[in-house]
Amino acid sequence: MLAKLLLISLYTFKEIFKSKILYITLFIGIALMVMTYVATEFTYGTPDKVALDFGLGMLSLSSLGISLFLGATLLPNEINSRTVYMVISRPVPRWVFIIGKILGLIAILLINVLILSLMTLACSYLLGGEVNLVTIWAIVFNCLEAILLLLVVVFLSLFLNTTLATVVSLLILLLGHAIKETQETSFVKMRGYLNTVLEAYHLILPGFYKLNLKDFAIYQKTIETSYLVNAFLYGTFYSLFLLFLIIFIFNRKNID
Amino acid sequence: MLKFKEITKIFKTDLTSQPFVALDNVSFEIPTGSMVGFLGANGAGKTTSIKIIMDFIRADQGALEFSSELGKNKNDILKKIGFLPERPYFYPNLTGHEFLHFLGGLSELKKSQIDQNILKWAPRFKIDHALNRQLKTYSKGMLQRIGFLSTIIHDPEFIILDEPLSGLDPIGRKELKDVIVDVHKSGKTVFFSSHIVSDIEEICDRVIFLQTGKMVYDGGVQSLLNTHEQKDYLVKVQGYGFTPSVKHQEYTRLAGNITTFKINQQDREVLLAEVLNKKVELIGLEFIKPSLEEIFYNIRSK
Repeated sequence: MLAKLLLISLYTFKEIFKSKILYITLFIGIALMVMTYVATEFTYGTPDKVALDFGLGMLSLSSLGISLFLGATLLPNEINSRTVYMVISRPVPRWVFIIGKILGLIAILLINVLILSLMTLACSYLLGGEVNLVTIWAIVFNCLEAILLLLVVVFLSLFLNTTLATVVSLLILLLGHAIKETQETSFVKMRGYLNTVLEAYHLILPGFYKLNLKDFAIYQKTIETSYLVNAFLYGTFYSLFLLFLIIFIFNRKNID
Repeated sequence: MLKFKEITKIFKTDLTSQPFVALDNVSFEIPTGSMVGFLGANGAGKTTSIKIIMDFIRADQGALEFSSELGKNKNDILKKIGFLPERPYFYPNLTGHEFLHFLGGLSELKKSQIDQNILKWAPRFKIDHALNRQLKTYSKGMLQRIGFLSTIIHDPEFIILDEPLSGLDPIGRKELKDVIVDVHKSGKTVFFSSHIVSDIEEICDRVIFLQTGKMVYDGGVQSLLNTHEQKDYLVKVQGYGFTPSVKHQEYTRLAGNITTFKINQQDREVLLAEVLNKKVELIGLEFIKPSLEEIFYNIRSK
């Protein structure tokens, strides 16, 4: 089964790679270098931080964009074009098909992250910055965040059409980043019922803010190990839980 | 090879819509080694039946039984089935070669076996020259041919084709039909759906006929033709002046100065005697055999 899973991943990767989606990554990388160069003219003393800020921001935007837009069409395209029938009419269990497709897309995500993070680190380094471990962790957690978003959108695409799945996933992403700061506002603190609602939200939907280490990388340069471990376990287990749900539903779904 | 037993499938698109019965207690059998045509107008339930056979969707009632020669579990059975969906789109950015290796690999073939089978079949399908091109550059006919090649690349025992000839030009249809016949002659069981009756009459020995989700006929093509045989004759004579005394339908062809009469079998001798007595020049006598197409439309209109 592992061989078939890897085969589906490989050809999913090839199919997306050949669609020239990574040209966008290269374009973003070049834009990053140009913007960093221009920004150095306006920043005094901290051009490396600006480079890191721009770089991590673009890295985050591009990987979340890939997850959102390619994830929303990953399964619907297969079903609409009937290519899924060509695969699952072979001795391939549905769970192998779905994991293979997701892994193929994750490989594209990782290449995007690799290219942009190398460019970001190079820009920062050339402008006098240093490559520290927290920056690397920020990049790793960015991958984790993109994978989690990918699984959210794939899960929603099992029920909703492509547009709705994209919009709802984007909302979940935005809420998942905003929820912590919202909870800390005095407006919410003064209203206990609002806090209860937000706590309930927390229990069900993903708290993406936990996986955002950009501020640690740019400003604080240090991070507690316990925070890293907790956030990593949260992201990993939430992703595995979503993957389990996707497999469970896809196994029972009428592919019509 | 397959028993489709009392299958019912009902679709309900949303909470407010009326349920739609796509298949209503349909049963049929596909004997091992046969070439079975699956006939029905658009919306008759052919694709739904095939999706149930392939386990893409589940029936609400009934059972599906594969013969033990295909295997005991789903994995073994699928290894011996080759399936081509209706109007497949394929992966546009993969080359033909990559696509065949992908599907061959999923059918547990080794790379060398896939290459051997590509060498064997690609020239026959006339796509050997295009295998290194991306599939998005293929014409519709080429896509259909590479789709069929991928269906038989693992040498399956049971081949299921959903409208394999749709969208092909006459030459493409003929070529693909020839390959289907050859594959069947090599001992494979072939089950293919079509709404083009003449294709099924031409190459199938059995036919299953669905109409609006209900079974209308399951049996031999020849026995269906025999059942609906009307035993009429066409008599062609020179000139326009002759009028037979027996009941007839008359058609006149002005260009050839020929008159044609359609008569019943029992009136044949009387009419021929009249032709001889009146010294009318007889051009021809032809037995009218109804085509499967005519029977199909007759049954539909009833």
